[in-house]
Order: sequence, then C-alpha cells, then structure tokens
Amino acid sequence: MTRDAYVVGSGIIEFGELYEKSFDDMLEEAYLNLLDGVDGGVAPSDIDAAWYGTIDIAGEGSSGSALAHATGLFETPITRVENACATGSDAFRNASLAVQSGAADVALVIGAEKMLDDTAGLIGSAALERLWRGRGVTMPAYFGMRATRHMDQYGTTREQIAEVSVKNHANGVKYPYAHQQFECSVEDVRESPTVSYPLNLYDCCPVTDGACAVLLASEDRAREFTDDPIRHAGWGLSADSFQRGDDLALSNFPATRQASSQAYERAGIGPDDVDVAEVHDCFSITELITYEDLGLCADGEGGRFVEEGHPHLDGDTPVNPSGGLLSKGHPIGATGVAQIAEIFEQLRGEAGDVQVDAPEVGLQHNIGIGRNATGAVSCVNVLARD
Amino acid sequence: MSGPRYQRTKRQDQRLVGFECQDCGWVSFPEEKRTCKRCGSAPADFEEVGLAERGEIKTFVVQQYLPDDIETPQPVAIVDLPQVDGNGEAARAYGLLTETHLAEIDVGTEVEARFRELFADGSRPINSFKFGVPRATKGDSDRTDDNSGDGTGDSGTGDGERAGADPGGRDGGDGR
Repeated sequence: MTRDAYVVGSGIIEFGELYEKSFDDMLEEAYLNLLDGVDGGVAPSDIDAAWYGTIDIAGEGSSGSALAHATGLFETPITRVENACATGSDAFRNASLAVQSGAADVALVIGAEKMLDDTAGLIGSAALERLWRGRGVTMPAYFGMRATRHMDQYGTTREQIAEVSVKNHANGVKYPYAHQQFECSVEDVRESPTVSYPLNLYDCCPVTDGACAVLLASEDRAREFTDDPIRHAGWGLSADSFQRGDDLALSNFPATRQASSQAYERAGIGPDDVDVAEVHDCFSITELITYEDLGLCADGEGGRFVEEGHPHLDGDTPVNPSGGLLSKGHPIGATGVAQIAEIFEQLRGEAGDVQVDAPEVGLQHNIGIGRNATGAVSCVNVLARD
Repeated sequence: MSGPRYQRTKRQDQRLVGFECQDCGWVSFPEEKRTCKRCGSAPADFEEVGLAERGEIKTFVVQQYLPDDIETPQPVAIVDLPQVDGNGEAARAYGLLTETHLAEIDVGTEVEARFRELFADGSRPINSFKFGVPRATKGDSDRTDDNSGDGTGDSGTGDGERAGADPGGRDGGDGR
C-alpha cells in the first residue's frame, strides 16, 4: 500500500420496516444524506469508484448497476460485494484498498438490504442444503450453540448473556436511527419467548430494512472534504468453521481472533488501545463472546466483563454505543457500513446522546455465517484519529 | 430442483465412515473431499476410518420457531463420533436429535446414531442419521446397519420423532 485512506463523510437512513421504500429509494436516500453530510461538500463527479454491499436477499441489486440506477453514478466503476454478514464491512475494506493502492482517489461505499421483503430466504437456505446436518437449522440455533457451550465451559450465566441485550437496548433508545427503541431488564429478556434454547426473543436482533453510505478519500484529497478526516488504520478478514474440529470454535469464534489480530497488527495497536467498538451482536451471546475474541477481556470472562459494566456507554471500553444490531437492526449489507459510520461519528465527537468520552481509536467488527456454520467469515476494521 | 447442492446422498450417509487426514489427523465427515479443511494439505492424503455409533454432545440448542412444515421443538446438537478403533480424533458433525426428552440433553450427553428418512426432496427420500439418547429397552432394533434405503420403518416425520418435552422446562433452568 502506498498511502492512507480516510473516511470523510457518512449518510445513514432510519432503520426499520421500510415496506414503502424500494431498494432504489433507500440507496438514493443514503447517498443524498451522504452528499449533504460531507462537511466541505462533495459533487458526484468527485467520486471515482463505488462499492455496493448487499446480499440481495430480496432479489434486487444483483450488480453494481443497481447502485448506478439509484444514484445516477453511471460511467463509474461500481462493484457489488457480498460476504455474508460481513458484506458491509468488506465493501468498505475493498473501497479503502482501492484508495490505498492509488486506483481511486475518492470512493463511495453503500450498503443496503431489504430483509422484510423476503424473510423466508433466511430459513430456506438452512433447510435443504445440508441433509441431516442442517435441516431447518436457523440463525438463532447456529449462535445458540455457542451460548450453551459457553455456559457449560466457562460458567457464564443466562443473566450475563441477557445483560448484553439490556445494555444495547439502553443505548438504542438514545440512537435516532435504531429500529427497535425500547429498554428492557434482564427479567424481560428471560421472560421473552424462547426462540432457540437458550436464546429468547430479546436475545435476537430484529429483522430490519436499511441503508448507509460512507465516503473515502486519499490522504492528499481528504481535506478537500473535511477538516476532520478519520484514518482507516487497519483491517483483517478471515474464515473458519467449527467443523474443522477446533474446540475453541464450539464456544468462541476463531475467525474473529484471526481477523482482529491482522487488524491490530496493521494498525500498530492492541486491544487495550481500543476506545470504542461497534461489534456484531446479531444475538446477545455473539457480543459476549466477541469481547473475548477481540481481546477486550480474557477467555471465559465475557460474562463478567459485561456484568461489571466495562462495555457500557460510560465504561472503560464502550461497545455498541449505537445500540448494536440488537436494537438498531441488521440489514445485512448496510450493517457494517452503519457501524463504520458510527465509529466515524464517535471519533469526531459527533455521536450525540451516545457519544463516548474522547475516543482516539475505534474498532468495527462483523462475524458471518456460511457453509452451514457460524464463524464462517469475520471482518475487522480499525479507524483512528490522526 | 435437483436436490441439495453441496452434499448428495452417498455411502457415508448410510454408514458411519469418516476420512482422516494423514498429515494432521482431522476427520472429515460426512464429506469425502481431496483437501484438508484444517491443515490445508492439497491434495491431502485421506484414509477411511470407521466411526463409532455412539458419540458425545459437544453443544446443542432447541429450536422453537421454524417453518410450519418442520416440527418443533427441534433439538440440534454438535456431536463428536469417535473412531471405532479408539484411536485418532473424533469426527464432528451436526446431529438432529430424535426420540429424546429435552431434559435428557446436555453438553457431554452420550447419543447414538439412528438411520432415518429425514425428509423428502420432491419424491425422493433423503436418508441419513439422527441421534438419540440410548435406551436399554430398544436394544439393537435401532441399529444403523441397514443401508437398504428404507430405513427401519420410521419415516422420521411421525410423532415419535418429537422431542416430546416442554421447551419451557429448558428455559426455566438457571444459568450454569
């Protein structure tokens, strides 16, 4: 890599049940919000290339042209990226690599998903393809298996797992774009309907539509767009599966360890340097395990870590100040981009009611599923103030 | 529809046959491939190994919300099946549980493989294993030696397949 890439702007739309909005509508709105949100302004002609993150679960946007139609960015190279739940964060990574390499000076990233138009796809993919191994195995089951094992292996309590959801919903009510804005107690989580034992409804993120955009620029162009650019300091991307027989994969996500190690090394930091993090909490247990995988606490200590308040908004390592996927929702292609947008705002001190205390380094993380196993892909990005 | 894309019915769906990487010892099951998913050896040298009919639950969940045509509650486990000769690593695989009360299931529970028609793909039966907690009363009648494709007369979709216990009983338990 020859130069650094900087985030210079972001634009998000309200997440939720957006039945009345088409893919085009959502992409257009996120794009216009981005153009409007860049401090020094940006013209469409400034954009050299774009990356579009979607898994196309509702059958739209099968190529970059879907983004060209929504934005008018024809005659611009646009690449569609799909990488399971890490789709948005990997779209960002690819755009940044293009800027770092010199292939583009200014790159647009947009992630979008309409989850509510075709929810059957989420279950259908699990139902048939793996014979006896995965007949009908759903997302809560994949992640719930880690919860059962983590409780057995480390003595993590059901209450500690619920604490993640309690924390994130407390944050989510303060975050204007969150889909489900309500507070809940540990008891509320425990008493919500069982989805896949040991996970209950409030342990699960909602099914949500949404879109988000961020703009990247090279180090020599970044200040054309803002006086306060945020550097993309490091990234990691890895794949794994518990079917490889590693016992750690029964209770944790080795892919996150691999991806975060790469990201820390590239950024020249360690887990202790992370001031704020937006991590994948598709289920409460996912975030609890991720504390350990990112090195924010020791193995087996995730339950105690959240119980003692370390990842809370006013804790020493705030995690998911935006309310996370649990309250914000998880429109897959948009998820990682929205996490990047939140870290960008946090590092600039513009995060409003969920602003944490003067962060210098922020981490963004996704874990995704594939080939009938969780932990199939993990992407980690580190952003930093210079 | 041509059926499952990645995994077709093969001999190992009806017999407990695994494939051991001679470089790192990882056991592939039920797939027989030419590259090792752990050490990356390519082409890998795999040797066929027999797997025991009884294995151990490494972790599990009990699914409650599923499409209408799939029974609930449905327990699913990760099961380690040791090699028959007692040497080498176990094979690790998903297992649907059958004829098992939810209260019997835990990390470490011993389960045995039972041959079943799991479901039908169009007009074609999809046969493979489910797992259940061994029962003395059943003797060897549920052994998995039958590879005729007809299973043991249990279609795998009757009420006998239901786990049979109230999943709420699971939720009532305290964190361990």
